[in-house]
Amino acid sequence: MAESEAEVPKAKPRPIVRLGIFLISHSCLFSVICCTAGVLTLLLLPVLAKNTYISENALMPGSANPMFSSQEVSEANRLVKSLTSLDSKPVGSGIESQRLIAEYMSDLGAEISYHKFYPRSNQFHPLHFFSYPDSGSTRENVSCISHGLNTVGIIRAPRGDGKEAIVLVTPYNSLKVGPGEALSLGIAYSVFSLLTQVTWLAKDIIWLVADSRYGEYAAVNAWLRDYHMPVFSGLSALKAEICPVSNVHNELKENSVTERKINDGFRRAGTMATALVIKVTDGSEHFEDSLSIYAEASNGQMPNLDLINIVNYLAVHRQGLRVKVEKMRSLINCKWLKILGEILQSLGHVAKSLNPQWKFGIPAKDYVEGAATLASSLYYQALGVPTGPHGAFRDYEIDAITMEISSRVALNNKARKNDFLLRGGRLIEGVIRTVNNLLEKFHQSFFLYLLTSPSKFVSVGVYMIAFALLVASLPVVAASLYADAHKVDPSFGIDKSTPQASATDELSITPRSCKWLNAAKKVFLVHLWGAVVSFLPYFICQIPSCTPTTSFVVWVLLSSFSLPILSLILGSSFSYGRPSQPQKRDWTLLKSVTISAAFIGLCLMSVINFATAEIGALLMVPMCLMAQPLKLDIRSRKLRKFLRVACNLALGFLGFPPAGFFVLKGAFEGFGGITVGDFWSWLESIWSWSSATYLYIGMVHLPCWVLCIHVLFHPC
Amino acid sequence: MEPKEQSKEKKEKLWFWNWVIASVIFRLVLIYFPKNLNLASRPEVSTPLTSLRRLAEGYWLKQLSMSPYAGSMYHGSPLLLSLLGPLTVKRIEGQPDHLLCSLVFVIADIVNAMLIRATGQNLQMEYTRSLKLLDHVKLSEKPEIIPSGDIAALVYLWNPFTIVACVGLSTSPIENLAIILSLYGACKRQAPLAAFGWVIATHLSLYPAILIIPMILLLGYGTDTPPRKLFLQRRNVEVGDNPPNDRCCEREEVVHRSEVPHVFSWRPVIHFFCWTSLWSVYVLVLCGISVKQYGGLWELFKRTYGFMLTVQDLSPNIGVLWYFFAEVFDFFRNFFLIVFHGNILFMMLPLAIRLKHRPCFLAFVYIAISSMLKSYPSVGDSALYLGLLGLFVNELADMQFSFFLFCGYVGVSLLSPVMHNLWIWRGTGNANFYFATAMAYACLQIILVVESVSAMLNHDRKLRKPLTELQDGKN
Repeated sequence: MAESEAEVPKAKPRPIVRLGIFLISHSCLFSVICCTAGVLTLLLLPVLAKNTYISENALMPGSANPMFSSQEVSEANRLVKSLTSLDSKPVGSGIESQRLIAEYMSDLGAEISYHKFYPRSNQFHPLHFFSYPDSGSTRENVSCISHGLNTVGIIRAPRGDGKEAIVLVTPYNSLKVGPGEALSLGIAYSVFSLLTQVTWLAKDIIWLVADSRYGEYAAVNAWLRDYHMPVFSGLSALKAEICPVSNVHNELKENSVTERKINDGFRRAGTMATALVIKVTDGSEHFEDSLSIYAEASNGQMPNLDLINIVNYLAVHRQGLRVKVEKMRSLINCKWLKILGEILQSLGHVAKSLNPQWKFGIPAKDYVEGAATLASSLYYQALGVPTGPHGAFRDYEIDAITMEISSRVALNNKARKNDFLLRGGRLIEGVIRTVNNLLEKFHQSFFLYLLTSPSKFVSVGVYMIAFALLVASLPVVAASLYADAHKVDPSFGIDKSTPQASATDELSITPRSCKWLNAAKKVFLVHLWGAVVSFLPYFICQIPSCTPTTSFVVWVLLSSFSLPILSLILGSSFSYGRPSQPQKRDWTLLKSVTISAAFIGLCLMSVINFATAEIGALLMVPMCLMAQPLKLDIRSRKLRKFLRVACNLALGFLGFPPAGFFVLKGAFEGFGGITVGDFWSWLESIWSWSSATYLYIGMVHLPCWVLCIHVLFHPC
Repeated sequence: MEPKEQSKEKKEKLWFWNWVIASVIFRLVLIYFPKNLNLASRPEVSTPLTSLRRLAEGYWLKQLSMSPYAGSMYHGSPLLLSLLGPLTVKRIEGQPDHLLCSLVFVIADIVNAMLIRATGQNLQMEYTRSLKLLDHVKLSEKPEIIPSGDIAALVYLWNPFTIVACVGLSTSPIENLAIILSLYGACKRQAPLAAFGWVIATHLSLYPAILIIPMILLLGYGTDTPPRKLFLQRRNVEVGDNPPNDRCCEREEVVHRSEVPHVFSWRPVIHFFCWTSLWSVYVLVLCGISVKQYGGLWELFKRTYGFMLTVQDLSPNIGVLWYFFAEVFDFFRNFFLIVFHGNILFMMLPLAIRLKHRPCFLAFVYIAISSMLKSYPSVGDSALYLGLLGLFVNELADMQFSFFLFCGYVGVSLLSPVMHNLWIWRGTGNANFYFATAMAYACLQIILVVESVSAMLNHDRKLRKPLTELQDGKN
């Protein structure tokens, strides 16, 4: 009776179970197909990119005629001239230029305030990502000797209620104003002066002249922090204790005509809708004036796509600028990419000849360009380091980009310069006017996208396919390994002498579903070790006067010592009762658990920072899937097995983070001049920006690599 | 041989206590870094019902002689308010805030673990005894039987959910304490203790009210045993085996042996009810005294149980109800409230019939179901049922999908904060992101319940198999 009960459901499993069993039994084929499809889809992304469009109807870019005229250009020239003349004077105390700008601003009738900030040393905030920006920032130590001074000007909108604002940022080095910086200040000033006169303004305009003596990002970030974190009297007293208030304001006010307009306190102007960082470089372009857009903020966050669309639309269709986004130069001359592009092009032709409706082919040149742009987009997002001062805004949910305008020739010719200023000013005026039309925040368009050109993008729905295909094989292979490990077990004989014995045996065998606990313990231990390794640099950094190379060596030594120590402390006390006999095939279970851990880690990372997860999956998925004890392969002397051994060793070598770093760096930049310390400096730059990529490398990638190596050298 | 065994046992005991002490130290370390973790503000840890910050607010209001329920801040019991309230205002110079409360929660966790351990030992004794009765002699003497009490206690103590709930200043350790106390009392067949635990647990969080069925079964039948049918079968086999002459005396013995654990004894149950009414009156009187000037008992019920049952607070949590009731039209609201809460009640009776021989396991299933469908679930509830799951480690050894469930729990508990971050702080995600993890979590809990119940039934079947074969052989 019992048997019949047990037999009936076995004969007819549900379709979904049958599908699962089918996939698991063909896991090898399935994983090969999935991985290939994943890589192919990644290569196809430039073809699948869509043209951008402005999805928020309220924006209406370019619907109004620009009001920016030659009068404003002459204003800009005035400021630039006085700035350069100031610079030629020997007494460049830094405060001079700020006062000059403040004077100019107050002549326009804007509210002005100075913002003093202290640069802070980079600190390690591993959990920064999960908390509100700058929680607990009050306790940080600041160096009181040096400070920077931002100048902020605010125009109150005649039609606004003071609840919203648009920010213009011009970073400049107050100690030495370069010609490009002077020009960017000039453009911003001319736009600012225009905006004091216009009647259509519905949002306040904030012009932040950021003092980039200690880095552009630091200045903008300090101002944003103070903007969003009101300092109350108790805290300000505390701050006063830390750093004696120097009389900057008095110093500045002393011989200033604009005394009455400069405010002591911090001025605010409502929620920021958008921020534009304006920069000017000159003389580097060959063909025409161009505009480079930088958008990547920390952890691969991007501003709303509509902002980029507006800038792109206005720059191309109104001002005739050539818009560029960053691309990976070394890929453009890549042979295989060109060949691939040509193949895709011809495929597109064939498809078109079959059915004119099918239009998926793009020219080979476009494909290569798109791929290079995509690669750089992926790289900068994966790095998790903001590409400019706009990154600071993203932490406060403000969409921001850096616009770098560069001219064709050096701007010595006056007419040329005026034309350049006119176009730049009109572009910024247009962008501000468009954003001014916005009713709320940007919310219509995408936040998750990759750019393949300024006017083409790959949305999250498309690029996720590549990633999903790549990692889809992981759970299937894990399941099949898990099933294997249980099937092969010899203790599961069917022939039993007496029914009584069979029953007891069935009950008394080590609980088969709990066998994985041992493997899980090992995996957990290694991941714990990964966490320890990722926190070690925090302590190593405290060692004074350490070159990157020695730090790196110390780190490696400490890490490799901590693994056996950890396993000694935890491993011994973990094993309760009798330690289970090392079984022949327990590496399959270990591999299964490793793959599951890798899967969870990759999925988690794909939500936090897609680009990191994609690059990580490209490295890790083949490594995890291929790993198999070398002994097994070597024992059976076949060519196929030897190929696998070679593959395993190569993947294991590439998977080791420093090795992978050096190989990739060498491939893109040449092997000359690579030192061991480079890896350390690279990592340091990542963690000082509290990038999630660092945690990923330490807590997902490295442990998985160690476990794969463990599987490779498993004695079986 | 014997001293060796003893030393081994001693070592095992030492091993257990080492881990207990380590868990306490771990908690204390975490308590000293509250700012970095900021657990108290996480929606997974503190719900409107269990948040200590709300409790402190309620206490503050009470100190100002206002109703602690004013302003929809506090929704817990007034007794908890008078117990924990004074501790929330006491600060020790140089120590983290709420240190005393944290210590109370740590102690509650330790007590919980000890009670789980005692319950587990009780269960295990009963398990071996019934195996002996069924003549699975070999099985009962094997060292294979894992000390489920120790395992369950350690699972409870080292479960990240428990640690997070304890360190994250939520009152769920106290609520769990009441539930575990009632289970422990019922297992030991101490009606007053069981009644006290049940009344307090119901008073604190209402949902444990459904535990009355396992309580009655526990008190009436005793702890978990294989189904009664098996004992009857076993008796039949033995009776058929014996020659007719000495049949009667043998039979008497068998009857005596097998019927001992299976007579429903009414005495403890009646005791339990008496004590329950006594304790309830006591609690109600205490509550009545403390809320006398603030609108009386009715106001209390409306602000606590009413708040729980009508799902007024729709701030996100790991349950599925907030999203649903944020979306549903207002005129359907009452209907769906009834449906969702009826869902728990519908499942009670069938489960009680099928699992009546295993009341402790039944209690586990009830707790898991209610923590899945309750209005403001938190990880503290999961901590409780995952701890209780450890009690059945011998019976559930062959549970399917255990690895999948483990991975699922790990994945969801890591993904949930990330999704919350995307939605709230980064603005690139939306509520659906977070709700997706909540749904995945609910699915995992469903799979856990389904698989554990089917594993338990399979275990019973397995126990029956040799008996049936023996009987078939005889016939």
